[in-house]
Amino acid sequence: MRLAYVHLPRFPVQRRVLEAPALAGQPFVLVEEVRGQRRVAFASTAALKAGVRPGSTLTAASALVAGLSHFPHAFAAEAAALLSLGEALLVLAPAFQLDAPEGLWLDASAAGLCGGEETWAARVVEACAAQGWRARVVVADEAFTARALARFGVRRAEVVPSGEGGRALAPLPLSALEGAETGRLEALRALGLATLGEVAALPATAVVARGGAEALRAHRMARGEEPSRFVPTPLPEVLEEVLSLDWPAESLEPVLFGLKTLVDRLCARLSGRRRAAVRLTLAFRLEPSGEAQVALSLARPTAQAKLLLDLARHRLEGLTLERPVVGLRARMDEDCADPGQQLVLGDGPAGDAALEVVLSRLATTLGEEALFAAGVEGVHRPEAAVRPRAFRPPARPEGLLAELGGETAEKTREVEAALAERPARLLPQPAPLEVALGVGGELAGARVEGRWRRASGLAGPERLGGEWWRGGGFSRDYYRVHLEGLGLAWVYRDGRDGRFYLQGLFD
Amino acid sequence: MGAAAERTEGTAEVLEQLRERIRKLQAAPRAYLATLRTGVAPFDALLPGRGLPLGSAVELCGEAASGRTSLALRAVAAAHRERRLCAYVDGPGQLYPPAAAAMGVDLERLLIVRPREVKQLVWTAVQLARSGAFACVVLDLTQTGARLALAEGKKLADAAFRGGSLLLLLTAPEAPGDGMLRVRTQAQGLSGLRVEVVRSRQGGMGAGALVPWEALYPALAAARGHVAAGMHPRELLGGGDQGFQRVRTSVERNGCGVMGGRPGRDRALPSLGAALGLGARH
Repeated sequence: MRLAYVHLPRFPVQRRVLEAPALAGQPFVLVEEVRGQRRVAFASTAALKAGVRPGSTLTAASALVAGLSHFPHAFAAEAAALLSLGEALLVLAPAFQLDAPEGLWLDASAAGLCGGEETWAARVVEACAAQGWRARVVVADEAFTARALARFGVRRAEVVPSGEGGRALAPLPLSALEGAETGRLEALRALGLATLGEVAALPATAVVARGGAEALRAHRMARGEEPSRFVPTPLPEVLEEVLSLDWPAESLEPVLFGLKTLVDRLCARLSGRRRAAVRLTLAFRLEPSGEAQVALSLARPTAQAKLLLDLARHRLEGLTLERPVVGLRARMDEDCADPGQQLVLGDGPAGDAALEVVLSRLATTLGEEALFAAGVEGVHRPEAAVRPRAFRPPARPEGLLAELGGETAEKTREVEAALAERPARLLPQPAPLEVALGVGGELAGARVEGRWRRASGLAGPERLGGEWWRGGGFSRDYYRVHLEGLGLAWVYRDGRDGRFYLQGLFD
Repeated sequence: MGAAAERTEGTAEVLEQLRERIRKLQAAPRAYLATLRTGVAPFDALLPGRGLPLGSAVELCGEAASGRTSLALRAVAAAHRERRLCAYVDGPGQLYPPAAAAMGVDLERLLIVRPREVKQLVWTAVQLARSGAFACVVLDLTQTGARLALAEGKKLADAAFRGGSLLLLLTAPEAPGDGMLRVRTQAQGLSGLRVEVVRSRQGGMGAGALVPWEALYPALAAARGHVAAGMHPRELLGGGDQGFQRVRTSVERNGCGVMGGRPGRDRALPSLGAALGLGARH
């Protein structure tokens, strides 16, 4: 099995800069609590240049750099961010294994589908860069070789040919043996060894005799023969992204900026899972407490960050928050499989954006319940035969699919024959009808819209009945009546009270 | 070497074929939907472009059951055949989707909007038409008490033009719209409905035609033909005494049986004695 290691140097620092671009180039550190002392876990490049080192106390670091900014290092949050990146990379690899806080392994067995391992590695670097991450990628036979070369190598993307792990590792310093015990490294240094190549050159029997199993492990690592253990990280069930703003935002722009980061990550994760957003909730944490939520529902499921962001921007423009926003959260409430979209040459999915924006605008003004698509129910009571449902039109086949005939892609919808005899308009409630009956008891005229109208023709009855098993059943004899000056009306005689009712118009 | 050269030649040939295919695809005229034909020939023939032109607003004005909705739904069905989206702004809340489905409307591609307030109807239609996401937008203003002002009519026409959509306005004769092509529909008893262009800037004003009911509701054709053959309108209120005839097309769809009862439960089953030669039992 071929493995790749994606190393993201000082990932927590990169993340902090991505979320607050003002920190770029500034000296700052991330601190953690170690035995009651605040110690530096990660330092920015500017802080490192000033002499700050990970492990030093915050007091010592602050003494080196005047006005050093410091932020808490939250391991769980960093791991979650790394997990998001791993999910986003699932577009290129079938599985990943986290190695928090600075890297992850990828299953590179599918690299052949991307034009070879070199191309694949370059694409992984590009995918990371697209999200703002600086990464180094190494593909090798086993996990240690890939990790050590990614962490201590210099190339952005590197492929170690199969069986040449030892040769590739040879120039690396002894500190690359991160899995080995510290004492063991010291022992190796005491022997005058400086590189992994020198360790690998030692005879295995002598290494075992002097250092035991642990030394043998270090020896095998240096030779690139450490057995790989790749355990794919399970994907979380809930897709959620959280972002804390450093300063309370009182205007739309900083909120939108944060939202872009959030939506970008969410969409990248969706793409990795081959899913598309159907419904998502944006939550805004307010200062000092409270939360405002905005639900976005899409007619055309999508994983395009730009479209979602446009939609969110539109919804936020009409939103008034009484307090500043200090945090954002985006949660996917419903998603579906994303089959992708084949576009026509030179075409773009602009129509989908227009659709989503207008639906969003209408939903904001009229309410979600005012917009719907109709579903036909298999019941006989006419007024109960319609059920509103969410408007999710099927995508329009384009490109080659349209050329070949979109009909093949869509199932043929069959309509029950009886529906062809139904009127185009159905009154919200059947209206009692004042009628005149002929000698034979047939309907001869009716009073509609305030005046008597002659029945010039009549067809029927069509008996509809049922629901007696539930109580409150119905039995109706329906007639199609030509009323002069009006047109064709759908009238029924109720079996319960014998009265006539107007229920629809064949308009 | 020979095999390799052959392979290279084959690849080059395939590539050239693919290039040629792409050139053809790019050069081929895009399927461009300019008009929506309802499929009701007499009606389509009246209109300037032999159909309802996209990018314009057309008013269908008529009585309550004069065929306006059916014509509009047939235009929607025409758009759905091209797999385009349509919207129906249902002011009175009377659209019956099962009937629309029977006319060829794809309910998955039809957005129904029912605003709570009458004043939101026109605004909604303007938004939908202007977006360009819908090929046809139907605005039903009947029985809402709303009367379209000239400015609103122009706004609707402008939105349809900008969005390249067809905007169909359904109105009643007592509250007609303004500022767009108007087609008057009028039921003509059993024979059908009369459609007439009563307002047009593109010409054809005054042109009219009779559309038989069968053209709008083909499923009713059999019964209708039978009725028309033997039916004489009764002089109901004028005191006439001509016999009124009707067609009995009794259909029992489900549920209750004879006389609304459940045979064997609400009513006794008819005796089979006579059929079995056992004689009547009393």
